[in-house]
Amino acid sequence: MSQGSKPLIQNTKCDCGHQNPTGTVLCEACGKPLTEEAEAQPVLEMRYDGVARRSQKANPGVIDLVWNFFSSVKVAIYLILFTLIGSSLGTIFPQESTFLNIDPSVYYKEEYGQLGHIYYLLGLSHTYTSWWFVLLLVMIGASLVICSLDRVLPLYKALSRQRIPKHMSFLTRQKVVYQGPVEEGGIEWVERVKPIIKKKGYRVRTDGGTLLAEKQRFSRWGPYVLHIGLIVFLLAVLGRNLPGLYMDEHVAFPQGEPVHIKNTSYYLLNDGFKVEFYTEDDMPEEFKGKNKVLPKEFQTQAVLYMCEANCDDLDKDPELVEVTRHNIEVNHPLNYKGLKAYQFDYDLTPILRSVSPVLVNSKSGKEYGKITLSINDPQRKYQAGEYTLTLTQTYTDFGLGDNGKPVNLSPNPNAPAFLFLIEGPDLPKEGIQYFYFPKQIDKERFNQEAINAQLAGGEELVSLDVLSMDDVDFAESTTYLNIRVDKAMPFIWVGCFIGMIGLIMGFYFTHRRIWLRIDDGILTLGAHTNKNWFGLRKEISAIFKGMNMEVDEKSLENNRGNKHESN
Amino acid sequence: MNLIDFSGDAFVVAFALYCAAFILYALAVMGRRFRKRDPETHLAKWGKIAFVTATIGLIGHLVYFFTRWAGSGHVPVSNMYEFMSFLSMAIMIAFLVLYFIYKKSLLGLFALPLAILIMAYAAVFPQQVQPLIPSLQSYWLGIHVTLAALGDAFFAIGFIAGLMHLLRTVNFSRTDKASRREQLWLELCMFAIVILIGFIVSVYGFRTSGYQAEFNQTLVDPKTENSTIVKVEYNMPPLVAPYKSETESMQSFLGMKSPLMEAPSWMHGVNAGRKLNTVIWSLLTGVILYGLLRLILRKPLAKFIQPALNRLDPDDLDEISYRAIAIGFPVFTLGGLIFAMIWAEIAWGRFWGWDPKEVWALITWLFYSVYLHLRLSRGWQGKYSSWLSVIGFIVVMFTLVGVNLIIAGLHSYAGTD
Repeated sequence: MSQGSKPLIQNTKCDCGHQNPTGTVLCEACGKPLTEEAEAQPVLEMRYDGVARRSQKANPGVIDLVWNFFSSVKVAIYLILFTLIGSSLGTIFPQESTFLNIDPSVYYKEEYGQLGHIYYLLGLSHTYTSWWFVLLLVMIGASLVICSLDRVLPLYKALSRQRIPKHMSFLTRQKVVYQGPVEEGGIEWVERVKPIIKKKGYRVRTDGGTLLAEKQRFSRWGPYVLHIGLIVFLLAVLGRNLPGLYMDEHVAFPQGEPVHIKNTSYYLLNDGFKVEFYTEDDMPEEFKGKNKVLPKEFQTQAVLYMCEANCDDLDKDPELVEVTRHNIEVNHPLNYKGLKAYQFDYDLTPILRSVSPVLVNSKSGKEYGKITLSINDPQRKYQAGEYTLTLTQTYTDFGLGDNGKPVNLSPNPNAPAFLFLIEGPDLPKEGIQYFYFPKQIDKERFNQEAINAQLAGGEELVSLDVLSMDDVDFAESTTYLNIRVDKAMPFIWVGCFIGMIGLIMGFYFTHRRIWLRIDDGILTLGAHTNKNWFGLRKEISAIFKGMNMEVDEKSLENNRGNKHESN
Repeated sequence: MNLIDFSGDAFVVAFALYCAAFILYALAVMGRRFRKRDPETHLAKWGKIAFVTATIGLIGHLVYFFTRWAGSGHVPVSNMYEFMSFLSMAIMIAFLVLYFIYKKSLLGLFALPLAILIMAYAAVFPQQVQPLIPSLQSYWLGIHVTLAALGDAFFAIGFIAGLMHLLRTVNFSRTDKASRREQLWLELCMFAIVILIGFIVSVYGFRTSGYQAEFNQTLVDPKTENSTIVKVEYNMPPLVAPYKSETESMQSFLGMKSPLMEAPSWMHGVNAGRKLNTVIWSLLTGVILYGLLRLILRKPLAKFIQPALNRLDPDDLDEISYRAIAIGFPVFTLGGLIFAMIWAEIAWGRFWGWDPKEVWALITWLFYSVYLHLRLSRGWQGKYSSWLSVIGFIVVMFTLVGVNLIIAGLHSYAGTD
């Protein structure tokens, strides 16, 4: 039944005296077909029990037109189809989000050729965040709300106000029909059949020689409950875009040093990382001898701290209080009050954490103090015996620029270097500049001695020396964790749960109704279900059997008008 | 004998029993026309025997599954061999469920070949137990994959019943445009199935003959322009050699001593050439098989099959198809989407990442929701509905197999050929 073909002026008063709203197909009271179209159907279309929907108002305004648009199942189907096609386009090439550091304007051309570039230009390289895809989802959301409201309220009214006696033409045009003589009077027969139908789990109501049996009506609400679940789900997904509800960071944690997690008061310490690989014995034959490396387990022993004081003070160390510990593995994230840390990646290259050199006076050979220089978090001033070292410049990745001046090449700690102003005995009054490279390899590469000799005016006056390996502190490994906060998650799960309940209601239960009336010794039975007609016919056949009547299941099928050519 | 070997034997036994059950079903249908006997009792009797054989086959399949589980220490759904074996088992379970509801034994005549085909496809892949990488070490592996596969299995039965409905109702005596189109499309479905059989036949044919060829393929990194040489092994005679490759060794095949051609430049991946070669062989074998069948039968395959179904009520078939999909839809939603999201949230920290496999699971779900809306709200029943169930199954198979072969991503299994 298309909505467009309804007549403009319609007499909606039924023969039984009931006044129906415009758009009603089957009389709300007795079920008599009201429209010409319904009148012409050999088997009635029982969708929504033939009630008028909100969208079938006589004179639609602007809001009504929007409402009507979204209330159409046809539109909903198109929306789903467009989403389906859009989603599939997004799988042709990998999405931008699968790569961590790429320039999509170059990458797609290089990797996938001209087609890849066109793909990028069309915006398909970020299909799922594109405006049209999000718009489609929002429209599906609107359609879910409006489609459901448009149908569920009238349907609810119709089903809760069912009258027992139905019009003859309503019964004989059901998909399951039986007509035949009975020997007793109507009321007696109905009373006798009542317990038999009840036994099948129906709720039975009678009215004189008429009967209405109904079961599992709640199954009709299944689709709407599913739609509510989907709406909650979609709202939760959209809600994640609100500030503060969502965080997704990839952070490196070198072993042994608490790292601050941005925008929170938490610090996380990587207290040890271990990775295990499968041995040759664990591998299947085909992998053996091929040098295949298959990891068995990654684990970060994490300690989470909460900062209690001095959190934003750069000069003081923050006061940290341990709140939880957890061994983070893939599939076993740390979860503390909604802050989650997932094992993402690891790096087994040792990273220099701190060095503890002594200051040596080149002339006397005397050693002064032992300072501990942290690579990531050096102090501004150090005191080595009578000498004062003031940090004037730090480099994480030392290099020489085009003009021969020192520059920082990157923020990665590849070649850390420190420039000190050293003051003390045997030095000029204003002190001397001194470059210090904690890594031996950089010392040689940049020729630390020569630079410092030059800075001091010809020869090295003092030097910083590490006396033994005990004075060098390495982080053995670095673990990369994915730190997440997603406050919308509970709503996502609630949405899924509601949706699932709706699916079970709608698909694993069936709403069945049996109407019957007896007029002058002739029994007329009509029955309707929203699915599994086979089961309904079987059930009715069994009911007849209980009444000592042999009625073949197949003969109950109303074949008026749709007889198959081959039958 | 250890558990894994025992499990392998159970697999073979189950396969043999399925084949036997299929032959028995065919006998049940064909036999009623051969001899002077009551067709109904013949069908009922042999249908029952076939069904019992299939059920024993399923028990063997379950024995395979649980002994492999016990032997390997993890739910055997972690690679393509294990997954496809499980899928065929799930299809048998779904068949059993619908058989118990509708008691239509002829469903087996079509469900069994599907299970057999998928099982044979499973055995194309390496069968050793592979240790699990960390991201797969979770009980969600078992829950998510098995339930998703079970949902897909119900869709498969929906497809089987839908296809039966089409075969039953297509009218070969009519020659108007719409009927012709329908006959053509249906025959195309039959042809596609024969191509799949062609694939299986060519893989096993060349495997038993022990065919081998090796190539050295030059791979060029587009960014650094560094080239590396990798070895590519073929188990089928190379009609198409990998792009930019040299023949290392090659057994001659029917006098063919060198590859006929090289893969086109856009197929420059390591396995692209081999996959193309496999596709060409499958097509070739399939076309030959189809040609032979047509020569023997002297009519379209669909027309040949149709009489076997003439005792079935088309409406019942339509309903079985819908019912299977209606049972499978919630199962698939739970296993393929919701549990997948829960696991993704635990393992990767996001419940949804638009990974190709995830997207295609969503597409499957969207497709079947379209099916349900069209059927329930717009009255698409019978023919239309059946065609949708056929297309739906193609979407399902693309999600399960095509994505791994063509797109891959986080879900790419080890040993995908």
